[in-house]
Amino acid sequence: MALEMMMSGPDYMRDPRKHQFSPYANNGGTSVAIAGDDFVMIASDTRLSRGFNIFSREQDKVFPLTPKTMMASSGCWADVLTLNKVLQARLTMYSHEHHDMMSTTAVAQLLSTMLYWRRFFPYYVSNILAGIDEEGKGVVYHYDPVGHMEKLTFSATGESVSQIQPLLDNQIGGLNMLGVKPPTMTKDLARQLIHDAFVSAAERDINTGDGIIIHTITKDGKTEETVKLRRD
Amino acid sequence: MNTGKSHTMYPSTSGTSVVGLVYDGGVMLAADSLGSYGSLARFRDVKRLFKVTDKAALACSGDIADYQFIREVIEQKVRDDVCGGYTRELNAGALHCWLTRVLYNRRSRFDPLWLECVVAGYKDDEPFLGYVDKIGTAFEAKEVATGFGLHFAVPMIREAREKKQNLSCDEARKLLTECLKVLYYRDCRAHFKYQLADITPEGVTIHDDLNLKKETNWEVANYISGYE
Amino acid sequence: MFLTRSEYDRGVNTFSPEGRLFQVEYAIEAIKLGSTAIGIQTSEGVVLAVEKRITSPLMIPSTIEKIVEIDSHIGCAVSGLVADSRTLVDHARVECANHWFVYNENMKVESVAQAVSNLAIRFGDSDDDGPAMSRPFGVAMLFAGLDKSGTQLYHMDPSGTFLEFGAKAIGSGSEGAQQSLQESYHKSMTLQEALKIALTVLKQVMEEKVSGSNVEVAAVTPEKGFHRYPQDEVEAIISGL
Repeated sequence: MALEMMMSGPDYMRDPRKHQFSPYANNGGTSVAIAGDDFVMIASDTRLSRGFNIFSREQDKVFPLTPKTMMASSGCWADVLTLNKVLQARLTMYSHEHHDMMSTTAVAQLLSTMLYWRRFFPYYVSNILAGIDEEGKGVVYHYDPVGHMEKLTFSATGESVSQIQPLLDNQIGGLNMLGVKPPTMTKDLARQLIHDAFVSAAERDINTGDGIIIHTITKDGKTEETVKLRRD
Repeated sequence: MNTGKSHTMYPSTSGTSVVGLVYDGGVMLAADSLGSYGSLARFRDVKRLFKVTDKAALACSGDIADYQFIREVIEQKVRDDVCGGYTRELNAGALHCWLTRVLYNRRSRFDPLWLECVVAGYKDDEPFLGYVDKIGTAFEAKEVATGFGLHFAVPMIREAREKKQNLSCDEARKLLTECLKVLYYRDCRAHFKYQLADITPEGVTIHDDLNLKKETNWEVANYISGYE
Repeated sequence: MFLTRSEYDRGVNTFSPEGRLFQVEYAIEAIKLGSTAIGIQTSEGVVLAVEKRITSPLMIPSTIEKIVEIDSHIGCAVSGLVADSRTLVDHARVECANHWFVYNENMKVESVAQAVSNLAIRFGDSDDDGPAMSRPFGVAMLFAGLDKSGTQLYHMDPSGTFLEFGAKAIGSGSEGAQQSLQESYHKSMTLQEALKIALTVLKQVMEEKVSGSNVEVAAVTPEKGFHRYPQDEVEAIISGL
């Protein structure tokens, strides 16, 4: 909505025409990633929507990139699909050129570069990248649509970011509390936080719901778990 | 855009909803045959559903001219594939992906094809039903609709599925007709003449010139007063 | 080779009936006129040493630059037409910088060799990748570097062929030098030993008396990356030979 305002001004300023072409759409979706010492979890809801319409209740928005890296994308679904296709191609080209799998840090930088190349016609996508780094530690990278990158240990993005991020800041970062030490992150705690975060977001946000797919990456591989959310 | 060249930024003659669903043993797809020019029911017999190959059918809503253009392109592509003889027959999954790229590229050039497409058919022996719109939004689902169908038909199909997971061919046909009927009643740009495609592993069957007129009842219209 | 010379050496991309590309072979011959350069790979780092030909007492030896830095983790020694090498070195530097920019990591030595090779064989007819050069480059290169897979030494010749070596000599004294290297090289060598061997071998094959000003020495190590050896340190090693 904000984007539409930016592109063409408030509606009373526009031509009295029924349709105005916009190359973007907001298809909702929320993602969360939490890193631990030797694992990282990345999850997103499974609702794909546009306005009041639910396109699909079972759309996974987390994409596998390498055996150690995954990316969650939401926003303009057309851009999500395209960005991921191009990124996949770049990953394949890299492995052919350098006879090696791309490291998580390299994928992280590549994504930032790719987003910035489209600075003046951006991919309207919120991304989180989660992976295991060269030392075997879990890492999370957060992006804005034009390529600003931040390395973190936990992050939320997408439609319900304003619901979930403060919760994570409080529960994992130990922020806004006196005399509280941030907890040591375990898989159980991460899973529980992700679950609670999405349940709360689904209560308040119509574009988040239906289900969650939680992906866990460790040095031994990936696992995935599906959890139900409210479907209204 | 002050490039001196103006592109399609709104549709001209347009078609309304397309509805499709996957059933036990196939995929079904339907669209009515009205070409609207604004609020004018301009063309009453425009076909906007066609067989692509034995494994795929395509129906579009939105700009009829853009639909006819993309149909030409696809038909030529299929002819090239057949004459070349070295590619697999274009299946629904491949067609869906290809459409995604074409429509996304056109939107990125700010010269969109004003369409909402539904691709139905088979992909690797699995039934396939997918959606692509003018900006490249694409997904697969067991029930897909465009335009008003998104508001009316999709909830009807989802409700039916909650009662019974797997629909038979007859049940699917009945449900799809019911959807079109509701759309004909409620969507001002809908029409009683329609086409329906049934795609099974055996191939694509297109039923042309189907009619909802006898199934609908407008007697109640006589009682509407106060708007004269 | 010159006895079998025929009309087939006119075009750079014309095979002779025996299946040879004469222009490429001539370019490889050009290397044999160049000054000797040596590279030795050890587990502690990679050493590069080259001979500088001081053709006039009025020449300032420090202006001869035959070992260059490609990136902080890769050095390169050249032999042959040094002017040609500038283009290739520039290309290698751009590739490394771009790789860092896009991937935030050091480019692998093999990948740098591959990238330079791609440019080196762009002679003959122009194609989609851009205009072609009229002849092959008349230069051979030794890439010494450090990456994820450890220390590495790559050799590339004008045919674009690139291979990894434990120790490699190029240039006019390469035949004798390679023989000496084969005799003295072993895998568990220290960096200091490698430096000594490199200078000993250079001493053997150089016409002039080896000194601190007519050789150039550099190394790539995990601690310091690419670094040159100052003249006094080189002289210290030479005096210990």
